[in-house]
This record gives sequence, C-alpha cells and structure tokens, in this order.
Amino acid sequence: MSLGDWLFHLTELLRTTRLVEFSLRVSDWPFALWLQTHFYAIPTFQTLHILSIAVLFVSTLMLSLRVLGVNGLDQGLDVALRRHRAWIWSALAVLVVSGIVLLISEPVRNMINPIFWFKMILLSVAVGFSLWFQQSVRVRSATWDVSPNGHAALRLASVAIIVLWCAVMAGGRWIAYAPV
Amino acid sequence: MNAESIWKGLENSALGTTIASSEWMFPTLETIHVIAIVTVIGAIAMMDMRLLGLTSGNRAVRALAHDTLPVTWVAFALAAVTGSLLFASKATTYMVNPYFLWKLAFMVLAGLNMVFFHRYVAKGMDSWGAPGTAIPLSAKLSGLLSLGLWMIIPFCGRVIGFTLGVYTPS
Repeated sequence: MSLGDWLFHLTELLRTTRLVEFSLRVSDWPFALWLQTHFYAIPTFQTLHILSIAVLFVSTLMLSLRVLGVNGLDQGLDVALRRHRAWIWSALAVLVVSGIVLLISEPVRNMINPIFWFKMILLSVAVGFSLWFQQSVRVRSATWDVSPNGHAALRLASVAIIVLWCAVMAGGRWIAYAPV
Repeated sequence: MNAESIWKGLENSALGTTIASSEWMFPTLETIHVIAIVTVIGAIAMMDMRLLGLTSGNRAVRALAHDTLPVTWVAFALAAVTGSLLFASKATTYMVNPYFLWKLAFMVLAGLNMVFFHRYVAKGMDSWGAPGTAIPLSAKLSGLLSLGLWMIIPFCGRVIGFTLGVYTPS
C-alpha cells in the first residue's frame, strides 16, 4: 500500500466516526460562517499563526544553539533559558488560539484529515519534549559552563527539538494536501 | 523578448514543468519555504525588538546581531531558493497576482531598509546597549519599519494562495 493509499484509508476511517457530525455542526457556528464569508479573515489568522510559530521556533533555536555552544556565549545558560522560555510559552498560547480559530474556519477539512491528527500528535510530543528539555537545562544550568563537556543527551535533545518543530510545521503545510 | 515571454519560458522549462506536474515537489518546497521564512522573520524580529528596546535590554546590540545575522542569512538563502522554485512552476500566474507583486515590493523595501541600516545607521552599534548609551532614533525607526514589513510579507504570501484562481494570466 502506498503512503497516499494509507492516508486515504485513514480518512475513510475518520469518516466513520462521530467527528463527521461534530465537524459539520461546528461549520454551522456563526463564528465559522463569519470566518468563511470574510475574505481576509482566514489569511489574517494564518499570518498570526505563522508569526507566533516564528517566535516560538526561533526562541527554541536560539536556546538550542546556546546549549550546543554555538551562539550567545556572552551570556550564562540560565539567563538564555529565562530569556527564551517566556517567549516560547507565550507564543505557544497565541499559536493554540489562532490554531483553534483556523480549525473552526474549516472544521471538516481539518478534523476528517489524518494529517491534521498526525500534526496534533507531533505537537503534543514537541510540547512535552520542550517541557522536559527546559527543565533538564534549568537543573544543570548553574554548572553548565563550568564543565562544558559532556551533556551529550541534552545536546542531542537540543537538535531533536528543532527537528520536532520542523515536523509540526510540515504537518501544518501538508494538511492542505491530504488525499481525499 | 518581453517580460511575459520570460515568465512563460520559465514556467514551460523542464524545471517549471517538473515541479508543477509532481505530486509531492510543490508541497515539499512549500514546507521548506515555510520553515525558512519563519526562521527569517523570528530572527529579524529579535533584532528589531532589541533596537526598539522591547527585549534583551541587558544585552549589547552587537552581541544579538552576532547571534541572529548568520541564522537570518542561512534561512533567507533557503527561502529564496525554495521561493524561486515555487515561482518557476507557476510564473505567469504569480506575475499577474497583485498580492505576489506587493509581497515582492515589500521585500525590496525590507532589503533597502536593511542596507540603509547597516551602511549608515549601524555605525555606532558597538556602543549600543552599553550602560548609559541610548539607541538612536534612526535605528529604532529602522527596526519598527522592518518589524512591520516582515509582518505584512507573510500575510501577502498567504493571500496569494487564496487568489491564484482569481487573477489568471491572459
């Protein structure tokens, strides 16, 4: 079975669930109709979604580069962590809110779409992983620069987290290309 | 040879038709394009907000520029390459799309702002952010303009996707 066939099969499975009824009901909400009938509404929320992932992704990238010892060495790791952490989680809040608005704008296209659910799984993994990563960095940040060698697991994790967020973004783009 | 025939030639080239007829190439290029522009916008915004005095107040501007500039350039190169390939597959359609043309115009403006900033405004950058020194108004204005432009550019990019069927080449 090709990847396309498999995704199509998953879409067929989603069509047998109560998500169909639910997503159809959501598409009748006044807010959903408002989003659908105002031309600039969806691109505006998509832009907000893109700008917030820009903040989250680059803050994560800068923290990862600091952990890898590539960037920001004029500052302690604890300072870098505090600096970026606040932006990462604030951006995630905007990301989730704008994402929910986009979900409401096209409920059937998203909810009856395996790629959307893959993205949600990847997102949950990325968020959980980020929490663990930041906690691990925080615990070791005081002694980090004293013994810059070692921490191999955290260095690897700092790369993995970037790959994870790229996968989440890829999921977002491919929602539009699910075979139906 | 007029401009229109150039876009037609590009679209009908082996490169253009290969991307247009492939099932996975266009979305894959789009994905890389999105990851790249998100990185460009985020890195530029960090620098702009530092110039405006909104963030990283405890860090020298030079140190922040050192962190963000390489990231910006690598990501921008990736965005430009993937963007050009996406363009090649539908060149005539993009060239009649006003949102695409606006996006290009705003990017040129952002580029000019950056050149102007680095050539004239950033002369005293080494002292910016040191205790007791202020960031000049011209640098703040440049940062504000850049921040605004890089918010409008992805908006134009998104609207292009919704208007490809509205503006079609004759």
